[in-house]
Amino acid sequence: MANTIPLSPAELSYLHTSLSQTPPIRPDGRSPTQFRPLVAETDILPSANGSARICFADGTEAIVGVKAEVEKSSARPGATTDDIFKNSRDQDGDVDVDREESDKEGKGRDEWLEIAIEIPGMRDDDSLPVFLSAMLTEALLSDGGLKDRLWINSRFHWRLYIDILLLSQPRSYPLPLLSLTTHLALISTRIPALISEHDEDPLFNDDWEASTFLYPRSGELQARSKPPVTLLVVSIGEAVLFDPSRDELAVCDSAMAISVAQSAGAGLKVVALRMIDPPSRLTAGGVPQVLNSTSNPAATASLSPAEALVLREKDQGQTVWRPPRGGVRRAIISRIIKMVVENNGVGEEVIAGLAGVEA
Amino acid sequence: MPLDTSTYSLAHLRVDGRRWNELRRVHGQISTQAAADGSSYFEMGNTKIICTIAGPQEQRRGGNSGQSHDAKVEVEIGIAGFSGVDRKRRGRNDKRIQEMQHAIASAFTHTLFTHLYPHSTITIHLHVLSQDGALLAACINAATLALIDAGIPMSDYTAACTTGSTASYASNDEAADPLLDLNSMEEQELPFLTLGTSGGDDQVSLLIMETRVQATRLEAMVSVGLDGCRQIRSLLDGIVRAHGKKVLEARVT
Repeated sequence: MANTIPLSPAELSYLHTSLSQTPPIRPDGRSPTQFRPLVAETDILPSANGSARICFADGTEAIVGVKAEVEKSSARPGATTDDIFKNSRDQDGDVDVDREESDKEGKGRDEWLEIAIEIPGMRDDDSLPVFLSAMLTEALLSDGGLKDRLWINSRFHWRLYIDILLLSQPRSYPLPLLSLTTHLALISTRIPALISEHDEDPLFNDDWEASTFLYPRSGELQARSKPPVTLLVVSIGEAVLFDPSRDELAVCDSAMAISVAQSAGAGLKVVALRMIDPPSRLTAGGVPQVLNSTSNPAATASLSPAEALVLREKDQGQTVWRPPRGGVRRAIISRIIKMVVENNGVGEEVIAGLAGVEA
Repeated sequence: MPLDTSTYSLAHLRVDGRRWNELRRVHGQISTQAAADGSSYFEMGNTKIICTIAGPQEQRRGGNSGQSHDAKVEVEIGIAGFSGVDRKRRGRNDKRIQEMQHAIASAFTHTLFTHLYPHSTITIHLHVLSQDGALLAACINAATLALIDAGIPMSDYTAACTTGSTASYASNDEAADPLLDLNSMEEQELPFLTLGTSGGDDQVSLLIMETRVQATRLEAMVSVGLDGCRQIRSLLDGIVRAHGKKVLEARVT
């Protein structure tokens, strides 16, 4: 990230201390699981199948457009006679929805989903957009339900293009913003209703009112299935903080992106988890008092570099700021996962909040 | 998609029901994004654009040695993959986009008081969310609004619109009418030009035409375009004034 952290070691140390209290004292007075307010709207673009816009409190803004196109499936090796047999069984006429749904299972393919991220001032092959799109694709595909829904018949499928536009310079790590906007765009995505049957060339109802949601809203079982959301969580000491601000990211011990999805008929489950290299590792450490050459020049002048290093290491961030080192303890990771997926946990709260957004 | 323009001569109504001198619905908003120095949202019919301004800020390294005494105007246009009917992704090095960027930058270099900001850069980011004709004109209008929001001094609004002619180059139709503000279906079929003016007395700051038209029709097209730019200018002025009023009222209470 281009933005450097404009905080001195003393400020970092102060922030770190106040955030590692129990309960942590956040600079903006939020509770550990509280999110910053955001402005969101869906269905903003007439030319896309689904679209959403989210504006975070720090002014960063993202727009996501989802477009679906019909594409001819290329022949798949290893799935020939079985498919034909299955389709001939369906000739009896009406196919009920449950049956159709189960028929689609396992037929989706990863390459039917394409995600492109555009960040101003960055090239498409810069590390940040590539990493972010890999992370979002991973979460969407491991859900499984989405790619199966793109199957039309054995010869045709939908190809789903998800274009993510970040409209402002990334102030803090843009992952949660992009993920929430993508979630919102996907739940508003509608695809035209299919008229043709079985393996005919697909024919669609041109009435947009009759179109179906990619993630169904009514119906008992399927209505519970929701696209994944990726949340950014940081740990500072024993404290776990959701939706970290830029200052909090600058002092965190570890940062992780956790993707949760709601599958039909079940609760939340973790579909992807990645550690993120926190920007706090790039901060400069402070100089302990024993090494301060201005206040005790006599003592520091005689020190060899090796002795100075030993003194610096001895301090261990007790009196001055030292950039965090090492990883994160397992207990903290399991606590984070529990906080996200439990009943009435953070994950459910976020998904319920986004479901309430109106066009 | 071929467009049947033959019906125009019957009722003098265009495919979307407008008369020859009618603009599409114009809607604009100022200060849409808190993180940018200036921002705007502009719609001309179904063409929708978000513009953000970064700057004036210190000149980026590289480029022309940084010795100029005027601010440099840079334009970046991003056309979203979902903006058209079919999904199409355009790279940043697309020649057409580069040409549009250059045209917009040179148009604004003349109206902005760039001499007030030596050694600095003003970057105009334009995000095209949906396109339905008059892309360049809508970009210029959106950039004007965002530059006003950024508080960069300029001599006047730069307002732009497109004009076309009802008959194509090949048909030697003497009774061809000029048309104002073409949508994308008309743009594919008919010759058209993009006109931008600034300054009260119709000073043309930008004129781009990529299609062929008979020279005798050009005069009528330009005069209709000038009239359209005047209408756009008053619409932009209305948007700015409405926003200013809102800001002042918020201050008072």
